[in-house]
Amino acid sequence: MVKKMHILKNLENFLYDQDYFIDLFNHTLHVYYYTELITLTDTLIELKLKEFILIVEGKDFVVNRLDKHEILIKGIVENMRFKR
Amino acid sequence: MKHYVLIRIKTPKKTNLLLKLNHLNVEMKDITYESDGLKFKVLQKDLNRIKKYLASYSVEVIDELGVYKLKNEMKKNCFIITGIIFASIIFLILSNLIVKIDIIHEDATLRELIQDSLIEKGVKPLSFKKSYEEYERIIADIKDEYQDKIEWLEIDVEGMVIHVRVEERIVTNYDQDYSTCHIVASKSGIIKSITTKRGVSEVSINDYVKKGDILINGNIKLNDEIKNRTCANGSVYAEVWYQVQASMPLSFEKKSDTGKMRYNLMIKKGSDKTVLLRSRIKGEKRVENVLLFKFLGFEFYLQKEYELKVENFNFTPQEAKEKAISLAKEKLALKLDNFESIIEEKVLQNTIKNNNIYIDMFVAVKEQIGIKEYFVR
Repeated sequence: MVKKMHILKNLENFLYDQDYFIDLFNHTLHVYYYTELITLTDTLIELKLKEFILIVEGKDFVVNRLDKHEILIKGIVENMRFKR
Repeated sequence: MKHYVLIRIKTPKKTNLLLKLNHLNVEMKDITYESDGLKFKVLQKDLNRIKKYLASYSVEVIDELGVYKLKNEMKKNCFIITGIIFASIIFLILSNLIVKIDIIHEDATLRELIQDSLIEKGVKPLSFKKSYEEYERIIADIKDEYQDKIEWLEIDVEGMVIHVRVEERIVTNYDQDYSTCHIVASKSGIIKSITTKRGVSEVSINDYVKKGDILINGNIKLNDEIKNRTCANGSVYAEVWYQVQASMPLSFEKKSDTGKMRYNLMIKKGSDKTVLLRSRIKGEKRVENVLLFKFLGFEFYLQKEYELKVENFNFTPQEAKEKAISLAKEKLALKLDNFESIIEEKVLQNTIKNNNIYIDMFVAVKEQIGIKEYFVR
């Protein structure tokens, strides 16, 4: 019998057990479990997470999905900083 | 189940709106930025809160999503849907209803007899059609009931009409005396064996007999005086001769089913035929049509398309001749019983014409030639 590795499933399980996580891929930024959306413009986004504030600068930001604790932003990310 | 709706909110300050919605804890999916606002999916309960707390915005509900959309569409088109369902039911009922029973026979008494019998078995106008197995059972019952009147009966369902074809049994009474008979020759030949169970043998081995000659006599004689009469019994085998013609093509194409079959649909109106689906059989095929139903002059058929395998055979004249001889012998052998056999065969003539070989054969066969011929005392 072939034993499957389930890498993606294991990674997903690991990530969702965390207090928060940030994914950046192909002009898309995904932040899971932010506590507050401080600033939202098409060039700047400030998100408060448990231990810091995430500052994202770039161009043409558009929000694709937004709910209480999860946000999916599309656009060109030029700079990302953390403020503790 | 979550009830999502697709909405559009008009505003020039889209990010401000997003922040406000975020503060209201509104869950948004598939957000699209439009020139004059935002379009996104929200839960129905969140939409109520948006309308309540963001009353200054113009909120337009574009569409319902998921099951609720279907439900909404069904509500909107309830008359059409009900009509289609009602029409389908009516159509289903009508296509399974018998409106007329047509009994095809010239004798009115027999027609009436069969009609009564069919009504008794539940086959009557304005009743539902029965299955093929039920019709077979009804046919068997009627034939069993009127053994002396009905020779053959067939029920043919054509649309809403049932055609009953019947053949009357004609009983012939022969005033024949079956107690006295001779065994006579059914054809000319040379006697090869004779077994007499009852009666007197009139011929010996190697005698030449002609058609109609008495082989075993039913009259028991003593000194030319008939002492007793019986029905002669026995078997007489003789060598008889046949001239057989057979032909075999030198090359031919054989088509056989590969076992692959695909369904299709066809509508027929008069001589016009329209096949609804693209055929899934690529090469050679044969088609069987099964009539599903008739409606307003249109005939709806289920087509069964069978894939065919094409094989080409080529023979030399000698091979074709051998095959033709074997074919002729096989055909002849089918007519023979276990005690009959082919003694010898000889090809008289063979000709090749139009890609075929034709042979004329002479065949000598050992065959039972004795048949009973009844006579009056």
